[in-house]
Amino acid sequence: MNSKPVILHVEDDPNDVVLIGLAFRKADLAINLQVVNDGEQAVQYLSGEGPYADRHTFPIPALVLLDVKLPRRSGLEVLSWARGCEQLRRLPIVMLTSSNQAADVNRAYDLMANSYLVKPSALEDLVDLVKKVTAYWLELNVKPLIGEDEGV
Amino acid sequence: MSTKQTWLAATPGSGSVGPVEHLRSNGDLEEAAGRRANILLVDDRPEKLLALEAVLGPLDQNLVRARSGKEALRHLLREQFAVILLDVAMPGMDGFETASLIRQRPQTEHTPIIFITSINDTENHIAQGYSLGAVDYMLTPIVPEVLKAKVAVFVDLFKKSEQVRDQARQLHAFEEAQHRRELAEAVDRLEAETKRNRFFSLAIDMLAIAGFDGYFKQVNPAWHKVLGFPEEELKSRPLMDFVHKEDHSGTLREFKRLMLGSTTEYFENRYHCSDGSYRWLGWTAAPFPAERLVYIFARDITNQKHAESEIQHLNSQLKQRVKDLMEINKELEAFNYSISHDLRGPLRSMQGFACALLEECSEELGEGGREYASRIVSSGRYMDTLLRDLLAYSRLTAAELTLSPIDLNALLADVIEQLQNEIEEKKAVVNVEPSLDLVVGHAPTLRHVFGNLIGNALKFTDPTTRPQVRIHTEAGTDSVRVWVEDNGIGIAPEHQGRIFGLFERLHSGPAYSGTGVGLAIVRKGVERMGGRVGVESKVGKGSRFWVELAAAPRT
Repeated sequence: MNSKPVILHVEDDPNDVVLIGLAFRKADLAINLQVVNDGEQAVQYLSGEGPYADRHTFPIPALVLLDVKLPRRSGLEVLSWARGCEQLRRLPIVMLTSSNQAADVNRAYDLMANSYLVKPSALEDLVDLVKKVTAYWLELNVKPLIGEDEGV
Repeated sequence: MSTKQTWLAATPGSGSVGPVEHLRSNGDLEEAAGRRANILLVDDRPEKLLALEAVLGPLDQNLVRARSGKEALRHLLREQFAVILLDVAMPGMDGFETASLIRQRPQTEHTPIIFITSINDTENHIAQGYSLGAVDYMLTPIVPEVLKAKVAVFVDLFKKSEQVRDQARQLHAFEEAQHRRELAEAVDRLEAETKRNRFFSLAIDMLAIAGFDGYFKQVNPAWHKVLGFPEEELKSRPLMDFVHKEDHSGTLREFKRLMLGSTTEYFENRYHCSDGSYRWLGWTAAPFPAERLVYIFARDITNQKHAESEIQHLNSQLKQRVKDLMEINKELEAFNYSISHDLRGPLRSMQGFACALLEECSEELGEGGREYASRIVSSGRYMDTLLRDLLAYSRLTAAELTLSPIDLNALLADVIEQLQNEIEEKKAVVNVEPSLDLVVGHAPTLRHVFGNLIGNALKFTDPTTRPQVRIHTEAGTDSVRVWVEDNGIGIAPEHQGRIFGLFERLHSGPAYSGTGVGLAIVRKGVERMGGRVGVESKVGKGSRFWVELAAAPRT
């Protein structure tokens, strides 16, 4: 079993997938980065269904980086679904998007997003960002109980 | 007429009596009675005349002597006499001859004549005297008392008839004056009527008198001009005939109210014209129930009505246009969103991969490859800035700005804090005067405006010069001018007009890089806050940018 904490990156833009993957690699972090490409896959992954039924290969993430604009189900829909889910409502979800529209920002916070970040354009800024996010949410932040462990 | 005789005026007791031209009072009549009467004494012998004068003197009348018939006639031509004492036996023209001539003149036809004769003559003599109109006949020697009494009777008679004539004259004058007055009044009335008629016929407005029977009694020419119907037709058909069918009930209601005695302040309805069209009339009307008449003042308001409906039409068009514009605005906002998201996404990838090339594949690229990749990175960065500025500009256009009083000192401290990196890098001095005047504005927009102005002041300086920026305010009557002054490279006069336009850049190359959007944002932002912006500058001497905003009311 992979003991490294899992970060689920929900991103439809293949370029961003590569760039953020590159940024994580350059940041040289001890994490297990999982990537899904649309809102529906994200829901399937988080609920452990379909191709993601195997929790060993696809464990519940410690952090979700969620894009806002996604095909099929938007990031905000995924967020709303997760918050309505008994097991996922405390899951740290950070919006990572190119949209800085006030409407999107406010809506995300209304739906209980934990944070809202705008993708920087320079690679070095992106590296810096993933370092900071990981440091904050996986090290500094006190983690809540998530999933089956709840109520114990 | 005795009253006109000049010798009378000179005579004591009658001098105040003037010509009879105006109506005299009763006092005047009494005066006429008191006036002296003329008595003509005709005799060829002075001693007889003297004797007569002695007899008649006590009567206190005017005694006029005549020594012959001719002289007597001369006197009679000039004056009126109460009585004539005429001597029969005179040389030349004798008494009878004289009397005969006297009687021939209408003026003296009835003047009493008393013949005096010393000849104790025959009956024939006397008869001749009477036939010539003598009233009396006296034989000498004259008994003074008798003569005096007789003459007194004639004087009295004369005076009485004079009085009656005077009264008749006065009455006549009075009647004449009254007649004249009545005539003048009638003329005045006629004149006023004529003038009123002129008003009636010349008025541009439509004036009419209608009867309670529903017919026009009188219409002025304006009706014909407006409606085209001849006056006769307008008066011969019921007036409701001319009213547009859709306005019948309203008009009837108004007419009933008028017949009950209430005035119509203002009413509008449509009237048919002879050519089949109709005109809008706006009218007021006043009823006179005693005469069963309604006085109508109407005006053709068709053009006004058309203008009104035109305005309504334009208004609804305008509303539609505003709606369309709002939709377009929404589309623009959506466009903004797609620029910010969809356009910046690929750009970020290009930049990211160029960076990755430089970092991951630096060796393989070689010097030339690294140069190209660097150019991709810097171009990407520039495009990113450009997109961000453009977005900021478009947002300023669309955003609803709520204005409030702004403390510029606090706001500028904030802006300068944001620019700290550049300030340190350039070793610049930014000097903000304490206690700047309060302005009315929108804080986020003002931050944008001053961020750009101060940023420019720092940027457009000769590399060898240490930038110095001074910010101060100048209070106007109800506005405040905020000055941002620098010691930079300045702007040539020919460029000062266009620097506030979108994408206007005066410099190319890396020394003074920019997107050409900054000052456009400044101007747009200030204008959206109801202010103005401008610049004073000399090349090499620095620039003084000013922003004028409404002054905040002092509390």
